[in-house]
Amino acid sequence: MASGAGERSTEQIDDYETLISTTDVELLKGAWRNEKAAPEILPFEEALVKRAKEQIQLMEETVDDFAESGHDPLIASLYQMDLDRAQYLLRSYLRVRLQKIEKFMFYIWKRDTYRNRLSIEEEKFTERCIRDIGKHLEETVLSKLPENYQSVLKQSVISEEDDMVPEPQLDTFVVAKCEKATRPLYLDGSRQSAGFDSRDDHFQMVPGDLCILRYRPFQEELMSGNISLV
Amino acid sequence: MHGRKAYELVKELASGEKGHPKIFNTELFERVIEECNEHHNALQSLIRIMQDEGLEVQTARNADRYGALIHHLSLIRNKRCLMAYVYNRAEIIRDLAWKVGLLHELPSGIQEKFSDSEEQYFIDHSKSLKLYMSQLSLDVNVDIVPPKDPYIKVRVLEDLGSGIILSDKSANFALHSMHFLKRTDAEQYIARGLMEELTS
Repeated sequence: MASGAGERSTEQIDDYETLISTTDVELLKGAWRNEKAAPEILPFEEALVKRAKEQIQLMEETVDDFAESGHDPLIASLYQMDLDRAQYLLRSYLRVRLQKIEKFMFYIWKRDTYRNRLSIEEEKFTERCIRDIGKHLEETVLSKLPENYQSVLKQSVISEEDDMVPEPQLDTFVVAKCEKATRPLYLDGSRQSAGFDSRDDHFQMVPGDLCILRYRPFQEELMSGNISLV
Repeated sequence: MHGRKAYELVKELASGEKGHPKIFNTELFERVIEECNEHHNALQSLIRIMQDEGLEVQTARNADRYGALIHHLSLIRNKRCLMAYVYNRAEIIRDLAWKVGLLHELPSGIQEKFSDSEEQYFIDHSKSLKLYMSQLSLDVNVDIVPPKDPYIKVRVLEDLGSGIILSDKSANFALHSMHFLKRTDAEQYIARGLMEELTS
């Protein structure tokens, strides 16, 4: 924090910036960006989506009021544009999630951590997806194969694990932006401990830093909000 | 040769233009399934020979066991190819469900490219999407591109008449007529190829 005469204005700017960065639109934008960039499905932002929906509804009413009262059409159209953008954001956020579900439904369904990240509606959707594709595959391929080879998830009965399930590529690279100063990080994601002190490949990110990182080791940093994806 | 037919099947899939599926290759597909069953028969007869000789299938190290293994692996490979073929086509179908999910069946022009089961899958998946949207009371299949302007200019490509009422007005959507519409209203018609967006 600066001192003396500058103090007041920096404080004001800080206040303004925190205010702007915590509006729901900004939060939704952040969630949307993370969801778009992450290879796996992230926890559903239930409260945020609920608030966004309410605000969109409110805005729709405002726009309707404007249209009825014959207010300045320019203002009305500006509101409409803002509304459209907010709606796009919300729809796109939900859409990206659904598309991930479509792609990795079996993978998501059999793991509780992933299943708990879905909203109730998404869970129902996943269930239906699995049922539909299961039925389709069964009818087209599986029912015509020898008995021991009919599983959707396994290559044959002797497979010990599910080896026919598409999985998200977690080792892909993402562009991460630092939000909060992080503890020293290692590129392979290992925790800082006494044994690692001798290693010199750690680094620290300060807010605003951009790094290209492997996704898997930094999942936790993303979940805790220390970094965001771009 | 083992797995050759299945390979052809997958290759056909990969060589196709993205998002434009070819006709479901029933003939080749059935041929691969047949091959699977042939492998299975061969596999079982080999196992039977080994059992007749009193050998343990898991631990024996003779020619018959390795023969059986090859048949097993060929079968698995064929299965994977078949599944990949159907699964990747299913992805295209899901894509279609997103784009034209408002319809209750596949557009007639491309219907013949899909098998009956695939058609049913399209209907089922569209229903799932619709159910999700109705639970949320929010259409997620509009607004595909980020909006620049709330209104866009469109040209009608198929005579739609005046039966359509959009959220703020109704108009006569005759063939080739041009309109200035709300983006959200126009998008579904654009997706179905009934209108096109005019960019200046």
